[in-house]
Amino acid sequence: MRGIEISLNQTQKIRLQRALKQLESLYLRANFNASVTVADTIPVSNEDTILKGHGTSERDGEVVATLCGVVERVNKLVYVRTLRARYKPEIGDIIVGRVVEVAQKRWKLEINFSQDAVLMLSSMNLPDGIQRRRTALDELNMRSIFEENDVVCGEVRNFQNDGGIQLQARSQKYGKLEKGQLLTIPPYLVKRQKHHFHHLEHYGVDLILGCNGFIWVGELVEARDCIEEDQLNNTEQQFTKSNTTKEMPLETRRSICQIANAIRVLSILGFNVTLEVILETIDLSRTLNLGIDEMLGPEFHVLVAEREAERRTSMTKRKG
Amino acid sequence: MEFVNPEGLRLDGRRPMEMRQLRAQIGAVAKADGSAVFEMGNTKVIAAVYGPREVQNRSQQINDQALVRCEYSMANFSTGDRRRKPKGDRRSTEISLVIRQTMEECILTNLMPRSQIDIYVQVLQADGGTRSACINAATLALADAGIPMRDLVTSCSAGFLNSTPLLDLNYVEDSAGGPDVTVGILPKVDKVTLLQMDAKLPIDTFENVMQLAVEGCKAIANYIREVLLENTKQLEYRRGL
Amino acid sequence: MVGLSLGEKHFIQGGIDQNLRSDGRKRDAYRPISIETGVIPQANGSARIRIGATEVIASVKAELGRPNALQPDKGKVAIFVDCSPVAEPMFEGRGGEELSTELSVALQRCLMGGKSGAGAGIDLSSLIVAEGKICWDLYIDGLVISSDGNLLDALGAAIKAALSNTGIPRVQVAAGASGDEQPEVDISDEEFLQFDTSGVPVIVTLTKVGRHYIVDATSEEESQMSSAVSVSISRKGHICGLSKRGSAGLDPSVISDMISVARHISEQLINKLDSEISAAEADEDEM
Repeated sequence: MRGIEISLNQTQKIRLQRALKQLESLYLRANFNASVTVADTIPVSNEDTILKGHGTSERDGEVVATLCGVVERVNKLVYVRTLRARYKPEIGDIIVGRVVEVAQKRWKLEINFSQDAVLMLSSMNLPDGIQRRRTALDELNMRSIFEENDVVCGEVRNFQNDGGIQLQARSQKYGKLEKGQLLTIPPYLVKRQKHHFHHLEHYGVDLILGCNGFIWVGELVEARDCIEEDQLNNTEQQFTKSNTTKEMPLETRRSICQIANAIRVLSILGFNVTLEVILETIDLSRTLNLGIDEMLGPEFHVLVAEREAERRTSMTKRKG
Repeated sequence: MEFVNPEGLRLDGRRPMEMRQLRAQIGAVAKADGSAVFEMGNTKVIAAVYGPREVQNRSQQINDQALVRCEYSMANFSTGDRRRKPKGDRRSTEISLVIRQTMEECILTNLMPRSQIDIYVQVLQADGGTRSACINAATLALADAGIPMRDLVTSCSAGFLNSTPLLDLNYVEDSAGGPDVTVGILPKVDKVTLLQMDAKLPIDTFENVMQLAVEGCKAIANYIREVLLENTKQLEYRRGL
Repeated sequence: MVGLSLGEKHFIQGGIDQNLRSDGRKRDAYRPISIETGVIPQANGSARIRIGATEVIASVKAELGRPNALQPDKGKVAIFVDCSPVAEPMFEGRGGEELSTELSVALQRCLMGGKSGAGAGIDLSSLIVAEGKICWDLYIDGLVISSDGNLLDALGAAIKAALSNTGIPRVQVAAGASGDEQPEVDISDEEFLQFDTSGVPVIVTLTKVGRHYIVDATSEEESQMSSAVSVSISRKGHICGLSKRGSAGLDPSVISDMISVARHISEQLINKLDSEISAAEADEDEM
């Protein structure tokens, strides 16, 4: 069994167990338990017309699981949804990655997948904003756009023949991310929703929940719509690279650290990370007047677990 | 020396067909994609799996399947007398190779082309049966990492002392000079993937001992299955909807 | 270790300047520390410590041996550290060797005395059994299971906890052995003497990033350091060892300042460790 890796004293352990038991009972009431382990047989009613999806294989006429996870059935498709596993890309996913290599006409990004993703030069906006053919000069200046270790936000464009994926970062909302911190959480905790970009004006923070489990928490960046403004900014950047040395206001930094810690706590407890839950967690810490670093202490973990149990109980009551 | 006393009890109080106590814990190393701690009696092993990830050494990349690598190391304090070299000696290299071949057999490598899977096994306490504990821990870690496998691999050892087949030898029984048969099986398809023996045995006795080891493997497989199932359920209900 | 982009580096440095690090800590705060003792039952003493995401195991094994001819009234201690590839794929093969050696040497400098044997943090004269003939050799082994910065402090604390957990068997020496003969010894299986760890120091590492120094750096923060000073301080406030890492030069006044800061922090750390160790031993007794 996966333990929660923080040290708790006796009472805290009991409270945490109680909260988790509550979550367990909610789950069992709602769902038919469909967990499987490797090499378990998946019960199928009519085997002829079943489509075997991810995580399944056929052996001796039966459908057998090749992964540990939960069996999902959608019409005629049967597949196994894994929990803790590397990211499984789908076209259109918003992801955050880190540049590991600058190669010919492309960048290679690490995105928590079995291979590094490729971002072609042609899938990226040029600094001067003009839509034109990429020349050899552009290739030589690739490092002025992204360098090694830069954090980049993009979208999954398509799959390559060898199983790797290609990204695109054409829109203004994609691109390099600066002034903030990058967190890594297991990808299964990030739900695919309508919005992955969250501009939190109230906190002055940009929050991007990448589907691959990379989460960016950074200072609010005003969306640049005007191409001319872009040109101006970028010429400045080329001369001074001074954008990053402006002091970040302490209030913004506090918000960034609070949001980051909230995400860390939720990821340790194994709860889904959505904007709603993050903001509730921050409210909880503010009402308790906890210091930001105390959010990572054992007491807060137990409180978050208890509050999550209450929240889900009230949600089920509302539905049912 | 007497390994099985007249009442039929071994040195540590077990019956000849009794296995040591098994304990498994998934997720010991937070940074790894999958990890597990596996204990068989006093033998304690940590396994961590990193991958599938981009191949680090381009020349080793295989175009249609994943590259599986494995390293076995023993801690300085793991054995009774301290070892000087935790790794790099011949026994470690041999066991690394054995574990790699066994795990490679059951991983569906063609689903993850051009990638690399690293399995690291660290022995914390060695009290006989380290090879088996390592394979069992590696199976748990691979399942935790969500790597598709043909079947679970489990392993167990058996020996023959005082004319009795004994299951799951500890260090004292292992160093007694009798035969030591280590078996690794794929329980669902009922196939043997690993078979090693030292010392000598007459053939019919060997078949008995091997059968005993296979029974031990099946028991371990049941335990591992339960642990994994419980873990999956826990992760699912914690996650919520 | 993963690289960091320029923007992230500025964020970390700015945080340290403003006394609000990436996880909300102040410059002088440690991450949550948890200790478990007796994790290796086959050893004489052992402990596992977790500071944030860094996790290390320390074990102490005692064997009988001959004392050094130059110091016949003292036992011997050897410290080795190994970095397991379980913590980082980079530690595979010989990749972790450099780091292991660096940590072993730094620990030896902090915990053991000078060449004459004087001034050791660990009291070696308590390890003697028969002067000049038999003494206890303590082998202290550290294993890094998970690495997220501040390995030296974690290992120092783990060794302190393992030593508190160590029981040395009582030895009966047969009387009447003369000259160079090795006397007969009877090692008791039942009675154990708890090792005295009140004098064992803790190690506090101060990492200098920009103009300020921080305690308990994560591996991201360590990648930004210009230099680091590790000070080993005992309960009485005495300095038992010092090492400086990093290429940047430090003004001597800065070093004295860092030492006084380390001394101040070490008091809190020693108290925290003592309470955690006694809690861990209580848990172990229960089990």
